[in-house]
Amino acid sequence: MSAPVKLYSWVALLLVLHLLLHVGFAYGTGAPDLLTLALLLAAREVGLGRAAVLGLFFGLLEDALSVLAFGANSIAMTLVAVGGALSRDFFVGDSRIFLVSYVFAGKWIRDLIHWIAMGEGLRQPFWEQVLVQGALQSLYVAAIALVLSVVVGLGNES
Amino acid sequence: MVPFGTESERDARPGELMVAIVAIVLALATASLPESGQQRISSALQSVVLRPFIATQERLEEARIGAAQADSLMALVDSLSGVYSTHSALLNENRTLRTLLELADRAGPSYKPATVLRPGTPGSESMFLVDVGEDDGIRRGSSVVSPRGLVGVIREVRPQNAVGMDWTHPDFRASAMLADGSAYGLVENRRGRFREDDRLLLNGVAYNQEVAPGALVVTSGLGVYPRGIPLGRIDEVNDEEGSWRRSYWLVPMVEPGSATHVLVLTPEVVDDVFEVWSQDSVPPTDSVEADDGPG
Repeated sequence: MSAPVKLYSWVALLLVLHLLLHVGFAYGTGAPDLLTLALLLAAREVGLGRAAVLGLFFGLLEDALSVLAFGANSIAMTLVAVGGALSRDFFVGDSRIFLVSYVFAGKWIRDLIHWIAMGEGLRQPFWEQVLVQGALQSLYVAAIALVLSVVVGLGNES
Repeated sequence: MVPFGTESERDARPGELMVAIVAIVLALATASLPESGQQRISSALQSVVLRPFIATQERLEEARIGAAQADSLMALVDSLSGVYSTHSALLNENRTLRTLLELADRAGPSYKPATVLRPGTPGSESMFLVDVGEDDGIRRGSSVVSPRGLVGVIREVRPQNAVGMDWTHPDFRASAMLADGSAYGLVENRRGRFREDDRLLLNGVAYNQEVAPGALVVTSGLGVYPRGIPLGRIDEVNDEEGSWRRSYWLVPMVEPGSATHVLVLTPEVVDDVFEVWSQDSVPPTDSVEADDGPG
């Protein structure tokens, strides 16, 4: 299986799993943010434009279920996708440490942008939503990325 | 992670940056869209991409609600069963009391109505307490009867209550006769392998005396029991001794375990009391066998 096909397969799988866990089974924060993980993995591979479009699509998917803060996820995911795509111009790494750090930072930045984009009336206190919950969720997603990297070699396509 | 294309291939996509800028602008614009526009986008995504996942959640929720309703219905069924079983016990008790009342009406004030209490302790299987005692005119040896016949006899009397033994006690003996007076004998208890196997035996009947199965056996009036209290019906021959004596198994008229309300005879009752157990109290052979079975 070629690298692009494998990557898109993983992105599709993570997308379905994310929607199944969050929407189908309604696990909420108990389930990891696999959508951001899929976006971060794809962003470094598919180019700036496609990454941004993918980010916008993923963000709209999450916004479709967000009644009050429509658009916040779209902004966060698009910017994270652009940042992920641009990161390969600054960091050329394929080690697991880089992968975990990249996913951790990407997820945390996504939560930060989402917190900002939500608007003052809807968001929880910064320390609670970004510093505590954001950090924990980022660790969660980074751990998933590490497991996937070890078990199936995701992120080590070279 | 390495990019799929080479550096030159990526540089060959000049539109990438423009696409990214457009995507960012669109993303920023979504937040500023009027509510109707946001709803249209949401509806479109929900009805296409998210539909199977939303349907999954709906089905899971329905299943969860169904399970909760099943639990609730089961609890309701349990409650109704409880109410029904209590109701049926009350009906039985009511029926017993009505029958007893009819017997008491026929018997008169010499028969004291009482409630039977069973201690339930080891060794007290054939003993019972009645809530009438010496103050009510009860004496040692008073007969304890139900609308069907003899239950037992009082062994110990206290001012407010008394202790009795039923016919399943090994010491139970009653002088008996056939209701038509054609044969006499002694009714006694025979223990079975289980309490439910306990039976009554009519012993000492003359060998040449014809005793038909189903014949009613009542107390003879010799001893502590007044004449005429039903004991049971002839079931079958148990034994023959030589050519001079026979014994018969009886189908008892009363299952002591089911007797909850009884009448206790006072010493004033000395005459023949068979007329008290008139035809409605002493059912015919068929129904006795159907109701009671072998003792």
